Amino acid sequence: MRGEKTLVSRDGPHAEEPRREPGRLEARTPAPLIHLKNATAGYGGRAALRGIDLTIYAGERVALMGRSGAGKSTLVNLIHRELGGQVALAPQASALVDALSVFHNVYMGRLDRRSTLRNLWTLVRPAQADVAAVRETLALVELEAELFSKAGALSGGQRQRVSVARALYDGRPVIVADEPVSALDRRQGAAILARIAERSETTILVLHDAPLALDHVDRIVVLDDGRIVLDQPSRALSAADLAPFFEA
Amino acid sequence: MSALAAILPRGYLSATRAFVLLAAVSLLFADLAVTTMDPFGELRRMFAGLAAPDFAAIAGWSVVSTLAFAVVGVTLGAGAGFLLAIVFARSRTVRIACALVRSVHELFWALLLMQVFGLSAITGVLAIALPYAGICAKVYSEMIEEADLSALVALPKATSTVSAFFYARLPDLAVRMKTYTLYRLECAMRSTLVLGFIGLPTMGFYLESAFRQGRYAEAGALLLVFYVLIGSRRLWARARTLPLLFAAAILALPSMGGSGDVSSNLLRFGRAIMPAPLRNGDWLSLETWSRFGAWLRSIVTEQILPGALETLVLSQLALVATGAGALALLPLVSRRFTGRLGQPLGRILLVVVRSTPEYVLAYVLLQLFGPSMLPAIIALSIHNAGIIGYLMGRHVDGLAYRPDAPRGVNLYAYEVVPRAYGQFLAYLLYRWEIILRESAIFGILGVATLGFHVDAAISELRLDVAVVLILATGCMAIAVDALSRALRKSLRIERLPVRLSTASIDRA
Amino acid sequence: MRRIVIAFAALLALCGQAFSQAAFVFTAIPDQDESRLVERFTKVAEYLQGKLGVSVKYLPVKSYPAAVTAFTNGDVQLAWFGGFTGVQARKANPGAQALAQGAEDAAFKTYFIANAATGLEKTADFPKEAAGKTFTFGARSSTSGRVMPEHFIRQAFPGKTPEQVFSRVGFSGDHSRTIQLVQSGAFEVGAVDYSVWDLDVKAGKVDAAKVKIIWESPPFPDYQWTVRGDVDETYGAGFTGRLKAALIEVTDRAILDPFGRSKFIPVDNAAYAPVEEVGKATGLLD
Repeated sequence: MRGEKTLVSRDGPHAEEPRREPGRLEARTPAPLIHLKNATAGYGGRAALRGIDLTIYAGERVALMGRSGAGKSTLVNLIHRELGGQVALAPQASALVDALSVFHNVYMGRLDRRSTLRNLWTLVRPAQADVAAVRETLALVELEAELFSKAGALSGGQRQRVSVARALYDGRPVIVADEPVSALDRRQGAAILARIAERSETTILVLHDAPLALDHVDRIVVLDDGRIVLDQPSRALSAADLAPFFEA
Repeated sequence: MSALAAILPRGYLSATRAFVLLAAVSLLFADLAVTTMDPFGELRRMFAGLAAPDFAAIAGWSVVSTLAFAVVGVTLGAGAGFLLAIVFARSRTVRIACALVRSVHELFWALLLMQVFGLSAITGVLAIALPYAGICAKVYSEMIEEADLSALVALPKATSTVSAFFYARLPDLAVRMKTYTLYRLECAMRSTLVLGFIGLPTMGFYLESAFRQGRYAEAGALLLVFYVLIGSRRLWARARTLPLLFAAAILALPSMGGSGDVSSNLLRFGRAIMPAPLRNGDWLSLETWSRFGAWLRSIVTEQILPGALETLVLSQLALVATGAGALALLPLVSRRFTGRLGQPLGRILLVVVRSTPEYVLAYVLLQLFGPSMLPAIIALSIHNAGIIGYLMGRHVDGLAYRPDAPRGVNLYAYEVVPRAYGQFLAYLLYRWEIILRESAIFGILGVATLGFHVDAAISELRLDVAVVLILATGCMAIAVDALSRALRKSLRIERLPVRLSTASIDRA
Repeated sequence: MRRIVIAFAALLALCGQAFSQAAFVFTAIPDQDESRLVERFTKVAEYLQGKLGVSVKYLPVKSYPAAVTAFTNGDVQLAWFGGFTGVQARKANPGAQALAQGAEDAAFKTYFIANAATGLEKTADFPKEAAGKTFTFGARSSTSGRVMPEHFIRQAFPGKTPEQVFSRVGFSGDHSRTIQLVQSGAFEVGAVDYSVWDLDVKAGKVDAAKVKIIWESPPFPDYQWTVRGDVDETYGAGFTGRLKAALIEVTDRAILDPFGRSKFIPVDNAAYAPVEEVGKATGLLD
């Protein structure tokens, strides 16, 4: 995040013209959660996103896909910033505090809903109720055995799952996850994506595995070189449709 | 600074050439005579004694006070350093003050503090705590700057600042600070050894006597015990045991001497460090100031300039010898060259070379070669080459090699040295300042560096002169530190790790 | 593990207690082999303790200036100084007085010694042919090892410093060390305290084939016991007098022999005026 300069230009308020967007909620009155129009974002003076038009409605499950360097993470950060307090974020590098236990890393998802004093005390001696709640969350990602392990001692796949658990424990309506299952096998990855879907109202995921994406989201947005090159309901797509965007 | 940046070498090769050239010029000024007629007889006696250590001769109490001085000194120094680190990046005054206190060697601090607190525990503790506060403030503040902030992003937006600090920043910092502080404890034990050489009742006190009087069996026992203490540091010095150690150390600090009246001593000290012409003269008279000018001029021309030149000559030669030594040692410490068997040996080697203070080494070599610059150069290079060689060995083992990489000399010359050279220069430049500070104090052993003149001034009870000389030494250390930084920047190696403790974090 | 640490801490604490007790403390300039100093001053401490009825301790120091500093700071109340360090100490601590000196200290002398390889022979006049050789003093503020020898060198070579007279000048630190360095050839010529030379000859530490005396200096006043001016306040009126008497009354050979002194005789500050003069002339004193 350091050194990043993001310039965002949007015109018009969020809900200017409720358009019909692809997705499974076509029937309901759409409530746009985020509405980007001609958005631009740069990184270190270089434009990473150009002319992004994107509206996401509450209740949607969206996958952002594309080659590395296409601007997915920049878009995730942009969305995270736009949505502020509604989002639980699982960043790309897991962003765990290695020196703390898995429990504390997950507990961090709710730091804002507890008093500072209680947070400090939890560092020394966690309350039973919190431990139980965190253990339950960890069970969702099959990590309850590591409850009091040091985060620094975990494998890459375990770290990703802790990061997801933290977002689940956070309990906000929108989960934004940047490559949450890249270090997991397809079976495990599918299970984790299912948990995320169950526990959140809206999910925005960065994924690189096409079959996994097709199974677990209802809308796929593909980025290439900072632009949106494809934005369609997943049921209209096949792995073959996505393949061109991932070939060198 | 920009003018400086323009003339600094930008390539590894030109930097190396410049240093070697400087060392070659230094050789012209260096006094490298071997004056002892029978160095090997003495050496034989020394090794015979060291090989048959006499543990019964050790004054047990000295081991306790060595630990006590180190623990209390580091705890106070690190505590103060932590508080200073919080404002370090924001306050120029704090940065300058820290640079000044850490540029003065523990030995000089002890010599000054002794004037006020006598041969007391306070002298020993402060001699460590003061420079260490300066060092810790700088290093901790660097750690705060380098800290991994990614976890902050994932926190819920409304998290309070305090909670965010304790959850997402402190844990990571605490681990690094803990590792560094415990490593400092080890440095402090080395410092207490040197403090013993000027009279504080640590193991250094007895080590000096033993070497001076040729009781090498006792010296060997003392050194072995000291190596074991340092080698076993991870067992007894832990974050958990530190409060307990601190409490015990406070109680165990020897209460020898120090019965004098501190406030009157402080007053006398204040008078004594005031330049002599000002002390006795009328401050409003022009003549006083012209005498002050003459006083200062004579110190500069007769002591500071020749002393500084000698210090530079010694440190330049030692630096280049260190570099050559480190490159030669590297294959002995790297698994690539020695296989698995060699590594534990390399570790033991490191504990030995880094635990033996340069000062002790130089003292021993002085007996062998007689009083020239040679003992000092060899002592400095052995100590620092051992450390850098070991760090380089670890670095080299961490590199990825292609499967068909050459072996032996070819690997060394075509892969290892070229690929690790930037890191090598980073380590070497970082130790430049350390070598310079040590060079300065070697004067007390007879080489005419700045410390030689400090020693003379203290013998003549001219504290005003001693303070001016010590300040000059400090300024020189600061200048070399700045130059080293500029050079690392110009070589684009300023982000490479340089501290011994940083390298040991992943081993912990 | 924790238990071991606790036990260790308790041990440390106990040891610490044993060392806190106020006492009458004295020190001495470390002018020769430390073991000899410890032997000699432990006996003095026992003797004084018996005579004075207070606890008496000897505080060993590592250098001449450390002895002077300990004295001026009040870390010690009494010190066995050389002529020059005594002058330094009494200047820095007005009220301090010289109490007693060894009978031999009234007319002390320095030996110039040379390594046999130099071919230098003993002469009655200052050995000017030593010029150009390497030369070592003792400690920087030693009277017989530095201040007086430097004075004699400057007299013999007017207008020249020792650095200009000799090819290399060193400071060995103490007299025993000076003898060793000249004997081993590290330095060709050296200046040494005659009493330490005699003691080391007696102890069999000097190899007559390798090192010998080439000159005996004219006499000058040297070592003395100096006491702080404030001891009567601390230890009761008349303490200084009793201390002086106790020193002069020493007859036990077991105490005097390690000193190389036949007895102690009364002395006063004025006796050291010549040393002070020399110190000023050589620029070592202001």
